[in-house]
Amino acid sequence: MAARVHTIEVLPKTGNGMIDSRGESIRRQLFGDHNLTITEIRSTLGYLVKGDLRPSELSRATTELFSDPIIEDCRANSTFTNSGYFPTEPDLTILIGFKPGVTDNRAQAALDGLHTLFPDKEGLAVATTIGYVFWGLPQDLDIDWLSNQLHNQMIERVSVSSEGNASLDFPERPPTEYQPPAPIDLEITDEELIELSQTGLLALNLKEMKAIQSHYRDPETQSIRKSHGIIPDAPTDVELECLAQTWSEHCSHKIFAAKIHHVDNQTGEDSTIDSLFKTHIMKPTFDIRESADWLLSLFHDNSGVIEWNEDWSLCMKVETHNSPSALDPFGGAITGIVGVNRDILGTGLGARPIANTDVFCFGPPDYDGDLPTGLFHPSRVFRGVHAGVRAGGNESGIPTVNGAMIFDHRYIGKPLVYCGTVGIMPRHLPDGRESHIKTPSPGNIIYMVGGKVGSDGIHGATFSSLELTEESPSSAVQIGDPITQKKMIDMLLEARDAGLIQVITDNGAGGLSSSVGEMAELTDGAELDLSTVPLKQPGLSPWEILVSESQERMTVGLREEDTAAFEALAQLHEVEATRVGKFTDDGTFLVKYGEQVVAHLPISFLYDGCPQLQLESEWSPPEHNPLITPDVGAIEMGEVLTRIMARPNVASKEWWVRSYDHEVIAQSVIKPFCGVNHDAPSDAAVIAPIIGEVQGAVISNGIVPRYSDIDTYAMVAASIDEALRNAVCVGVDLEKIAGLDNFCWCDPIESEKTPDGRYKLAQLVRANRALDEVCRAYRLPCISGKDSMKNDAIIEGEKISIPPTLLFSLLGNHHDVRYAVSSDFKTAGDLIYLLGESHQELGASELAFMFSEEAAANTDVADPTDPTDPTDPTDAADAADATNVPTTTTTTMTATTTTTTCGIGGAVPAIDAERNIVMYRALTAAMRERLVASAHDCSDGGLAVALAECCIGIDAGCAVDISTILSSDAELDHWGALFGESLGRIIVSIRPENQAGFEAAMAGNSTTSLGTVNHDNEHNFTITANGEAVLLSRVEELRSAWQGTLDGGRPE
Amino acid sequence: MIETPQVAVLTGFGINCDLETMAVFEMAGARAHRVHVNQFLNGSADLEDYHILAVPGGFSFGDHLGSGRILGNRLRFGLREQVRAFVKSGRPVIGICNGFQVLVKMGLLPGDDEVSLQQSASLTLNDSGHYEDRWVTLEFNRDSPCIWTKGLERMRTPVRHGEGKFVTPSQELLDQLHSAGQLVCRYIDPNDQYPSAGDEALPYPLCPNASMRNIAGVCDPSGLVYGLMPHPEANHSQWLGATWTREGGQTDTDQTSPTNGHSGDITTAVAGQGEGMAMFRNAVEYVRNNL
Repeated sequence: MAARVHTIEVLPKTGNGMIDSRGESIRRQLFGDHNLTITEIRSTLGYLVKGDLRPSELSRATTELFSDPIIEDCRANSTFTNSGYFPTEPDLTILIGFKPGVTDNRAQAALDGLHTLFPDKEGLAVATTIGYVFWGLPQDLDIDWLSNQLHNQMIERVSVSSEGNASLDFPERPPTEYQPPAPIDLEITDEELIELSQTGLLALNLKEMKAIQSHYRDPETQSIRKSHGIIPDAPTDVELECLAQTWSEHCSHKIFAAKIHHVDNQTGEDSTIDSLFKTHIMKPTFDIRESADWLLSLFHDNSGVIEWNEDWSLCMKVETHNSPSALDPFGGAITGIVGVNRDILGTGLGARPIANTDVFCFGPPDYDGDLPTGLFHPSRVFRGVHAGVRAGGNESGIPTVNGAMIFDHRYIGKPLVYCGTVGIMPRHLPDGRESHIKTPSPGNIIYMVGGKVGSDGIHGATFSSLELTEESPSSAVQIGDPITQKKMIDMLLEARDAGLIQVITDNGAGGLSSSVGEMAELTDGAELDLSTVPLKQPGLSPWEILVSESQERMTVGLREEDTAAFEALAQLHEVEATRVGKFTDDGTFLVKYGEQVVAHLPISFLYDGCPQLQLESEWSPPEHNPLITPDVGAIEMGEVLTRIMARPNVASKEWWVRSYDHEVIAQSVIKPFCGVNHDAPSDAAVIAPIIGEVQGAVISNGIVPRYSDIDTYAMVAASIDEALRNAVCVGVDLEKIAGLDNFCWCDPIESEKTPDGRYKLAQLVRANRALDEVCRAYRLPCISGKDSMKNDAIIEGEKISIPPTLLFSLLGNHHDVRYAVSSDFKTAGDLIYLLGESHQELGASELAFMFSEEAAANTDVADPTDPTDPTDPTDAADAADATNVPTTTTTTMTATTTTTTCGIGGAVPAIDAERNIVMYRALTAAMRERLVASAHDCSDGGLAVALAECCIGIDAGCAVDISTILSSDAELDHWGALFGESLGRIIVSIRPENQAGFEAAMAGNSTTSLGTVNHDNEHNFTITANGEAVLLSRVEELRSAWQGTLDGGRPE
Repeated sequence: MIETPQVAVLTGFGINCDLETMAVFEMAGARAHRVHVNQFLNGSADLEDYHILAVPGGFSFGDHLGSGRILGNRLRFGLREQVRAFVKSGRPVIGICNGFQVLVKMGLLPGDDEVSLQQSASLTLNDSGHYEDRWVTLEFNRDSPCIWTKGLERMRTPVRHGEGKFVTPSQELLDQLHSAGQLVCRYIDPNDQYPSAGDEALPYPLCPNASMRNIAGVCDPSGLVYGLMPHPEANHSQWLGATWTREGGQTDTDQTSPTNGHSGDITTAVAGQGEGMAMFRNAVEYVRNNL
């Protein structure tokens, strides 16, 4: 007989000072995102409890576990909507629950809670629901639309009722049928090989499929296989899946390893590059290492490691989780952040995650254009991703210290979700081993630790190596469980300090096939028994167990004599830890299921057998309509600044950032916000990780994808400089800075689907060259990186490619956090300086995008960066060209008579890294002399925006004169001076008594006196040139525009 | 006299402020021990061996069934007699953030003379509807028996929670708690003159969660058991303040003087230490003088 399912429903009490905060939030969100006015929304939390509970037990569970009688009402086996609870009948009820097999963290907690109440009760199962009850819906509201705003069909079920009868059954997972390992016949035609790769979601090309084919034709292979009792002349499904994971673009970075034929039509260059990674990333870093002995571990481990001081090392890794976040923003993002935390835990012998950084690229939150079916609105992606990262970071107790949000139409197809984590580990363990070095030996026992394996997360690695389509599999989506992982982190770090761990890595993309496979490379072999792996549900087939990416799992290697102590620790922390195999040295990755050998793969073939790609690259610079600037007065100039302040890329993200815990573990010196009202933007984060000590670490990010529309070289140079400038502004120690390059590209391989592949690859080549040259000049070694190369979406036949995007993250030392400097102006009367040179560099600037978008809106022509524009090659470039027709309609912005639509064209910022670094050194030295009161970098929106942000920090104005800037470069006009984004520029303020000392410290560098901090004038934000006002505004107005755009909780 | 009080800092199941909570007790002169919840439950550690119990912040069991609920149950059902004996023997207990939620849900706060572990108040979702990390100013009740807050006037700390709205089923209970001095600290407007704490609801974000009577922390009738939503342990050093770079805080530790402008405030009495440390120093002193 099937066990009874009890339904429990919990509703927050209202009245007497209490409100239904969850329902109210949803009401505010529907208003904020969709302008939808609803009178009232109440929310219920539901539990479906399967198992034999006596009425007395059920009653106890309702009051002592499921509900808190002081703040909640509770119903068991009836619902609020059908029991006359509400004085007026609701208009609608929407009840949402997970689909079978989707991770349900609240249900897991409820089960833990039930076992606390009833320790002897066995066979209980719990699923959860959440319900929304509505009053006062608009008459014409589409109920399906509303329900789709509140749930995600890919992972959730919904029941909608206007009669108060919404209900959901217990989500029973259909039984999984065990499929014995089967041989896959590769003696087929080339077309059939390709089809096999496509239908099996293997994401392998023909050359790769043929490499596998020829391996199994090799007589030597066949005779060894025969001796192991495995089919000799064909791969098993287990082997083919394992190879596909290991050889996926996601795991093996084939494009960065490819041989590239590069042609530059501008310079006539015709050359060959043998691996961008080796040439432009590894080589510079290794060259810098010649004179930097603090670089401990580079490129080969889960994160890069630097020596921070004699006692501690720091490590950092940044990952992307783009494809899953497009399908399920919450699940994709939470999985992304807890996943990169595991990279830190899996570095060396294990590091402790101490800081997260998150950088997101989304479509515009107020996007009102067409949205292809199958895509979420950008505001929904934004909310979901933010909520996922918030839950993942906060619940794990890892502070989110720094980040950024970028908006562009072309991220509608695939959002970018960069999740980074910094870790700390002792330089040496108590047993003397250096903790950044893994010490595996043949014979070490392999343990799988943490969560169990399920059918969730199958094909994540190969899926993210393909473009997104309507058919993208829901099995690639998962929901992270921070608490399971937190318990595991606590336990494994104790095991590390006890000297138990010999080798550790995380189970991410590719699951056990990658984690065990990669570590098997260290000892030259491993043996795994899949029948011992604990499963979420019975019946999984061997290949599924091997490649499943079920979350919260680490793979650990132990000496036999340490296994008992390890298992005891696991038991104390209530963490699953299971012996699944051992390391060997026979050159083979041997996988068994019980006694049966299901895979026998030579380590050399697995890791070196994938043929190198040969790719074509061809560069011609794109053409753009020039930026057209109007003639305006000082007041209007102030209004332009107000509009820039309100643009999503510039606007304050405070509402969103405050919901991240940035201070847990009590190390936060420079926080995301500073200033007298705690609302001005900081530059880099500074943390003091060892309590009681003042040495610090600096964490910053740089990302400027706009410039890719003109030149990816400029994009990369600007990103690196931005990250470094931010770090310089807080006083980083320039002798110890390390970088992380994280590329997100659109598919750069020429094909039928990607006719402009050569151009996109040339963009990648130029980006890598910038990385190489700028990092060398800054002595900024890249210690770790990542690439995600298929950020395209094909929806209803339309291709949406992201603009090529590099996130450059920086981890640096700070000699003493008590000398850290924040960006806010400090005292009225302080002197303001601009450091660095300004040039007329407005191409692809925030101002250029604003004017071209405004012009496009006013002239009713296609948006310059319309994501669905069929003319793809250089997205914005061609779209702009397509509109290169005389416009006869009048525009308000383009006051001058013109026959050309305003574009984003113009000079992009050039970099003079040698000059910049000299200035950065002088400035950080001045900070050590306490000569600097504030420092803030000029980035998006240029000098004017940066000054406004400094003023917001003191809640007062400034009087600034830009005459000297204008006279420094004959080509520079007011627009260029105020809104140009020339690199290497920092605004500082100093106490008047430090003027002589500061100017002496900066001697030889471009140091322009701008004016003073004050707050007396009617227009308290005043910029003049040669005695005339150029820009007049008020700080209150600028602040209000800046804070108004992304205030997520906008009340009506 | 006990020179070095021994502090048990609870860990496990998603508690995540354990390391800094240990650190602040050590800075205050105690010896801190990280003890897993299960070590108490399975008998391999004994509460009896410690002088102070601290339940740190975090997300125990993900707070999925109401913050602090499941951990509160584990302690209430698994450790009832030990906890009661601990408090009855005059030893201080503190719960911070999630730890406060745990102590409230298990009935130790606001509590009663018998330490009967009956829940009488609760902490619910902030009226804002979301989790938030922001700095607040607290003012302490001079008439409170709370041993943790003796002599304190004001303190700046961060709040980091989504469920910090303190509620009781009745105003009578709040009145009763008020007259017993159990309403230990409240959110205030830092621009108001000291003493300023009143019953009038402060607007968001001065009161970040819409707590009844702006309550941030409460104690039990004995004043030994104390819980609060804000994080004093996060302000253990001067350079962790929200606006320290504006306050002449850019001085070296050895020449630090009180700089926060709070007159008559003892909270920065120790060089380099942040305002939050005073509470922990109080508890250490209390144990030294009374146990």
